[in-house]
Amino acid sequence: MVDIFALSIAHGLLVLAAWRLMSRDDLDSEGGPRPKFGSRRKPPLAAAPDDVAP
Amino acid sequence: MIDLCLTAFLCLYLGLGGRKPFLWVLAYLYVDILAPQLISWGILSHIPTSLIFFTAAFAGWLFFDDKTDSRFTVRQGLLFLLLLYCGYTTLVADFPKEAWEKWSWVWKALIFSIFLPLTLRTRLRIEAALLVMVLSAGSIIIDGAIKTLAGGGGYGTLRFFVDNNTGLYEGSIISCVSIAIIPSILWLAKHGTIFPTDWRVKLFAAGLIFACLLIPVGTQARTGLICIGVLCVLYLRTAKHRILISAGMALAVLVAVPFLPKSYTARMNTIENNQADQSASTRLAVWGWTWDYAKQHPFGGGFNVYLANNLRFETTQAETSGSTTVVKTQVIQDGARAFHSSYFEMLGEQGFPGLALWLTIQLTGIVQMEMLRRRWAKRAGPDEQWQAPLAVALQLAHVIYMVGALFVGIAYQPFVLMLIGVQNGLWSYLKRVEPKLAGRVAQRRMMAVGTPALTA
Repeated sequence: MVDIFALSIAHGLLVLAAWRLMSRDDLDSEGGPRPKFGSRRKPPLAAAPDDVAP
Repeated sequence: MIDLCLTAFLCLYLGLGGRKPFLWVLAYLYVDILAPQLISWGILSHIPTSLIFFTAAFAGWLFFDDKTDSRFTVRQGLLFLLLLYCGYTTLVADFPKEAWEKWSWVWKALIFSIFLPLTLRTRLRIEAALLVMVLSAGSIIIDGAIKTLAGGGGYGTLRFFVDNNTGLYEGSIISCVSIAIIPSILWLAKHGTIFPTDWRVKLFAAGLIFACLLIPVGTQARTGLICIGVLCVLYLRTAKHRILISAGMALAVLVAVPFLPKSYTARMNTIENNQADQSASTRLAVWGWTWDYAKQHPFGGGFNVYLANNLRFETTQAETSGSTTVVKTQVIQDGARAFHSSYFEMLGEQGFPGLALWLTIQLTGIVQMEMLRRRWAKRAGPDEQWQAPLAVALQLAHVIYMVGALFVGIAYQPFVLMLIGVQNGLWSYLKRVEPKLAGRVAQRRMMAVGTPALTA
């Protein structure tokens, strides 16, 4: 009985810790998520000729 | 039931690790500390649990983790040298079969200690690793503490989850570790972000610290009492309210002593009167033998070389009755006695070079944590409050381990090697982020100075 109680407390907290870690981006990188491998930032769209004020 | 729950728990970590591979590293820490395969009688006891998570942790880092922030520190290099040296002494060991048996778990513990800092790239990872270590050991500690309160303690009789004397399930080792993690529990309760400070966290931390203090009582390991004394003295060194804390400690001792079992106080008295105690006399005899052995074999005899010892020593006991004191001397013949000290374990098994290497690894840890404490202690920024206390917590844990190691053969204890891994991770992390942080703080100061000028 004591064994089950001790195991339950610690394991319950370990599960809760894992759950909370899943939603934390700073687990893998600090200062915002890094761009994925192979992905490139899109260049800013060039202004369309029609939008240019006369 | 326990078996199913433990299996489900490990499956959960294995599954979640698919999204965040660092969880496999945490799962390995848990498996290596608690050894659920020993508690379980079903599936887990039939599969190589430790190997599965060791492989998963390493593969997760190798294939999925970002390695740009991973650094290899000097202490990791020293651990690698120790690994190579132990490999060499195992090849030429005096007792090859027994040496290979010990090597089979030592290499894994050393490799993991070298590997762990490479994964500890963020503050949250360092915290998570420490939390999992504390909770995994905490599981054994809570179990032992409740049984102690229920009167199930006693030297060599306090049973944790298993009838096993290996790893943290050995009385003296769990006594030393339970005291060593107290500063880390305090740090997690105050600076933790996974479980941020609130009344529930404080209550659990207080309960766990109480449980930690009960373990040396339950196991009646004298090492534990010495460790508690050392912790109290060292804690006061960096504490803010020294007088208040020391008064609290004195009060706690006064309140606790009447509740201690008689068998405990009787055993603690043998620290002073060790000549009558066979366990203490055996230790002195083994240490004498090891010193002589090392002089003849300066490069060590390989793992488990203590099997070669054959000891003959005397115990003396003085019994006073009225004005007459009778001194009884007993000659004891013994052999193949374990080292009962990590320092002599290293000296006998790895010789002078191995001992020097091991001591360097330990002492550099204490020095590095002190350097971090001094560097971060006086900083006032909101992001700069957790570093110095963590360095102190890890330093205290290490000093307590080194004191406990005087009387217990735990030179390669995986828990302590993990602690060294966390130290290396913290050292490497702070070295890397310090310039960035300094830049951010300078920017903040500039803005603070610039704001009135702008508004004026």
